[in-house]
Amino acid sequence: MIWLTWRQFRVQALTAAAALAAFAILLAVTGPHLASRYAASAITGCHGFGCQTAAITFLSQLQAASPYPIVYLLGLALILVAPAITGIFWGAPLIARELETRTSALAWNQSITRTRWLVVKLTLTGLAAMVVTEALSLSYAWWADPIGRAIDLGGSTSLFSGGRFSSLIFATHGITPLGYAAFAFTLGTATGALIRRTVPAMAVTLAIFAAAQLAMPLAVRPHLIPPDHAVAAIESADLDFGNLTATVVPGRPGAWILSSGAINTAGRVVSTLPTACLGPLSGLKPSAPGPCLESHGFREAISYEPASRYWPLQWIETGIFLALALALAGFCFWRLGRRRT
Amino acid sequence: MSAVIETDGLGKRYRRQWALTDCTLSVPAGHVVGLVGPNGAGKTTLLSLATGMLAPDAGTIEVLGGRPGAGPAQLARVGYLAQDAPVYAGLSVADHLQLGARLNPGWDAGLARGRVDRLDLDPGQKAGTLSGGQRAQLALTLAVAKRPELLVLDEPVASLDPLARREFLADLMEAVAEQELSVVMSSHLVGDLERVCDYLIVLVGSRVRVAGPVDELLAAHHLLSGPRRDPDKLPDGLEVISASHTDVQTTLLVRTTGQILDPAWTGSQVGLEDLVLAYMSQAAGRRRRDHRHLEVQK
Repeated sequence: MIWLTWRQFRVQALTAAAALAAFAILLAVTGPHLASRYAASAITGCHGFGCQTAAITFLSQLQAASPYPIVYLLGLALILVAPAITGIFWGAPLIARELETRTSALAWNQSITRTRWLVVKLTLTGLAAMVVTEALSLSYAWWADPIGRAIDLGGSTSLFSGGRFSSLIFATHGITPLGYAAFAFTLGTATGALIRRTVPAMAVTLAIFAAAQLAMPLAVRPHLIPPDHAVAAIESADLDFGNLTATVVPGRPGAWILSSGAINTAGRVVSTLPTACLGPLSGLKPSAPGPCLESHGFREAISYEPASRYWPLQWIETGIFLALALALAGFCFWRLGRRRT
Repeated sequence: MSAVIETDGLGKRYRRQWALTDCTLSVPAGHVVGLVGPNGAGKTTLLSLATGMLAPDAGTIEVLGGRPGAGPAQLARVGYLAQDAPVYAGLSVADHLQLGARLNPGWDAGLARGRVDRLDLDPGQKAGTLSGGQRAQLALTLAVAKRPELLVLDEPVASLDPLARREFLADLMEAVAEQELSVVMSSHLVGDLERVCDYLIVLVGSRVRVAGPVDELLAAHHLLSGPRRDPDKLPDGLEVISASHTDVQTTLLVRTTGQILDPAWTGSQVGLEDLVLAYMSQAAGRRRRDHRHLEVQK
């Protein structure tokens, strides 16, 4: 059965391996240059506030230097899209194509049960999908490490701005790619088993997976662990014409800020701040709105996940997708076990 | 002799439509069984149930004493050639033999290679480029070389031209003789089965109309002709399968175990094809009558 799985899968496997190799070569060629740029930048040996300035300089110079911005975006896109591709092209046809071409009658009438057939197919192809996605993620993480470190130092440009908790970075780094890959692959297989036609199954797989990819950062991830809360003095830099958006939690470097807002002396959330401190809407910002607001009793309330929760969040998110993958695989076994062909 | 297929009240439903109902059969081993019926009669459904590709909605089915498709051992005992002989288009002939060898512990590599050589199949050729006849031969090779006790063939010759049809059946009979296989094969054409089958099941409108060894069926059916009369006024023990009338003459196809004694009738032997057609038209007539009946009730 392993032989048959490999024989039917080898073209796709070699295609994936070739794509992975091409991407690895691209990273291997540009990576060392990126690292030496970082080593030669002012970040080396910086102190205090100088580090942020150095990081900003490093990142903005990098953004202007081809091919780093392209590789940066291409890598993110590949890791996000790889699970969808394996789900569509490896998962969806796995059962659907056998039913469509009626080769299921051939495959399931050899001296091996269709449960065993599915165990081997799902395991081998599914593991391949996970390995490919995680390999992309790990090699990319190695390449982008200097950029990540500069962002952690407070550096930011229009392109290089996402810390490790930002939606795109979180879902493409660590172990979450494993979960996404397993989920997308079994989703494809299950929709194929349900719809029994390859092309519609591919379309449905893409739609559901894209929805899951959007729903996770928007609606699920912020609620996985109840956030911590902090109250701090209002930073002038966090104010933008009366809108308060916190960027750091004092004493909690690298925290993931879920929400922030102004509160008054009674601890109530306020939506409007006194214009006396903010100045006219169209005019220049007053030099120090923060201390002014503080003297009126306003403070900044922040809900956040501390940096130490990065790995627990990674494990929970990966666990959710792996559990969904197991449930979908179970559905495939149940569907085949009902022997509806 | 034990039964290769034993069913009791077997039924299969697709949504609300019964594709097979109330099927009670006991097919003895050592026969080449022909399963005939018009398109949509339920032949494929019955064969799919026998191979475990489908699960029954009513009744029971046992194949070689076991539940169809129940495990590797049961799967190894039954060879199945599905309708239109599906093969993997992207895999070569040699790949298919490799597939059979890897997935069947009882695989007879010598037999498989011998058949492929004899049939002049190019081992390197992709199965998708084979002709219909070659594809059927390849699929039959897979089904036979796993050394089953029962071979189930669903319309194996339907898509073949007359020459390929004859070659396929001759080749099949050779394999049957060599391996002492029981065979169940379906066709909507009696002519295909007449030469090779010694047991017949007629399936029409999702019901089994008649089943038995061919020689017994032929011995029990007679074509009677005589002066015109009402078929209802016939002696007991005669079952009229079909009747046709001209102004003066009545021709009946009857089933009886005894002798025809009435001197008014001239009896003659009936051919297998006429016999099957009589059962098919009987069922069709019954359905038409039922239909009229329903319309009146409305």
